[in-house]
Amino acid sequence: MTVMSYARALREALAEELERDDSVFIMGQDVGAYGGAFGITKGLQEKFGERRVFDTPISETLIVGGGVGAAITGLRPVVELQYADFVSIAMDEIYNKAAKWRYMHGGLFTVPLVIRAPEGAANGGGPEHSQSPEAMLMSAAGLHVVTPSTPADAKGLLKSAIRSNNPVLFLEHKGLYGLKGEVPEGEHLVEIGQAAVARAGTHVTVVAWTTLMHRSLEAAEQLAAEGISVEVIDPRGVNPLDTDTILESVRRTGRLVIAHEAPKTGGAGAEVAAIVAEHAIDYLAAPIVRVAGADVPIPQNTALERFVIPGTAEVVAAIRSVMSV
Amino acid sequence: MESDVQLSLLRGMLRVSLWEERLFRLIEEGRTSGFYHAGRGQEATAVGSVSALRSDDYLLYNHRGMGQAIAKGVPLDRLFGDFLGMVEGTTGGLGAGIVHIAWPEVGVLGQSGTLGGGFVLAAGAGLSIRYRQTDQVVMCFFGEGASNRGTWHEAANAVSLWKLPVVWLCENNGYAISVPASAALSTPQVADRASAYGMTGVVVDGMDPIAVREATDEAVARARAGEGPTLIEAMTYRLRGHYEGDPESYRTRDEVDQWRARDPLVTFPELLLSTGVATQATIDSMRAEVAAEVDEAAETALRGTLPGAERVMQGLYA
Repeated sequence: MTVMSYARALREALAEELERDDSVFIMGQDVGAYGGAFGITKGLQEKFGERRVFDTPISETLIVGGGVGAAITGLRPVVELQYADFVSIAMDEIYNKAAKWRYMHGGLFTVPLVIRAPEGAANGGGPEHSQSPEAMLMSAAGLHVVTPSTPADAKGLLKSAIRSNNPVLFLEHKGLYGLKGEVPEGEHLVEIGQAAVARAGTHVTVVAWTTLMHRSLEAAEQLAAEGISVEVIDPRGVNPLDTDTILESVRRTGRLVIAHEAPKTGGAGAEVAAIVAEHAIDYLAAPIVRVAGADVPIPQNTALERFVIPGTAEVVAAIRSVMSV
Repeated sequence: MESDVQLSLLRGMLRVSLWEERLFRLIEEGRTSGFYHAGRGQEATAVGSVSALRSDDYLLYNHRGMGQAIAKGVPLDRLFGDFLGMVEGTTGGLGAGIVHIAWPEVGVLGQSGTLGGGFVLAAGAGLSIRYRQTDQVVMCFFGEGASNRGTWHEAANAVSLWKLPVVWLCENNGYAISVPASAALSTPQVADRASAYGMTGVVVDGMDPIAVREATDEAVARARAGEGPTLIEAMTYRLRGHYEGDPESYRTRDEVDQWRARDPLVTFPELLLSTGVATQATIDSMRAEVAAEVDEAAETALRGTLPGAERVMQGLYA
């Protein structure tokens, strides 16, 4: 194991896959010599050259649509949208082209495209640079949507995404870039669509990802002192969603809290709750509780941002509420 | 232009038009939907341009583009199969209609159902060609209406900036469904916009297959030589409605008649007869050969298999 940051884990994944496969290339705004708005591609152009790692104009439909065009003609593009909020600019290219091109053309093509897009609230990005759009893309059949929460998963999931023959929207959380954690040495792949049991427990299941996965672990630690045993499941992405792992846990604990940054209304947590209601409602001893972002644009003022995005205290309160029933 | 090239253009136009005539019969018989965007009148543009490509060049056709796909070499029986919803169609029974036919072995990459969605994919295919260091080219079709999409700007800028091997082929048929070009374009011609991207823009008579072919030959040569894209605007006209059954309230009978007098399926054979490139007997026998090919393709397709419910979930993921 090596301890490294989430950002470095992503960079290592990119470097290893560029090294391994000449059909892999990186394009996006500022990803070249500058190294990306968040430094994730730093040094990659220097090492692999301008053919493999290059800047594009500010043209999101070109970045994603061009990636689709290159993917259906034999390459494995890794494209970067500077902020995940910009999926809306390239929505036709993501929702209708990347996700559907293979299916609607009778399976004649594969679309091995990775769209990296930094999501989440961090340091006052404001309403259009802080969102977590996984729910918006969850219904795009044909597309995988991945949300790594740890450095090890950041590396392993990105490498798997690049090797996948399906399009992957890779939502890395920019608030986690500096997070350090252990990453296995050597070749490290994490299967897409396989949830992680981040902490085993017996009284309540918490399904949470990215920042809220970490806040849920903190909550679990606090509540352990009170004798409450919390199981934290990180789905690692919303499509495919590992419903087996979630249902198995809920059937055991009988209680479910779901926590994510994105707004509650229409959030991916609603889908998780619906699936559990459909398949395991008889096992529930308490109502399902969601801890999610407020249904409001995210204010730029950091003093207000923290009231919109749930913290550890909200997760603790939610767990206590389901345990009190 | 060499006689054999002129004759091959004629054969290509006959394949396109006789295929479409057979499709109209299938529509009349209720075997396929009337939501078909006919290419009647635009055959000279489709065949004149696509015939300049090699089999390994890429094509992103547009919604009125069956002539383009046929000219590129999509097998006629598979194409009928798509319209009939048969498993033997290129999409394996999804019932492609006009939108999602593809045939990668002859470079047909498919079509964006959202108009103008293909521009950025064409740019990506051009990028891929340069990356793989081959001498292929990409041809991307669009109407004058779709040239108003923002994707055009993003793709045209990048393709010119990177000098990618793309031929932008605009079919200006005067109308975006009902809206005339004069009510939607800020410049008299779409090709006027080429200079904004530092590329060559040319306007050609889209009813003249020789003129279209010559303009495309130049554009393809420029692209293969690494000198970047060309915007070709072919002035043409659709002689049928936007779809089969369109009331066509937006244009006059006079206007249609004026263009009908320039129907390339009439004027081009006349030209070949007058210049001695073909005799009536040559044209008649060519037409009979193509008619037999089309009939056989239709019969093959009609013997196909309709998909079952299991087809719906197949092929979503690789």
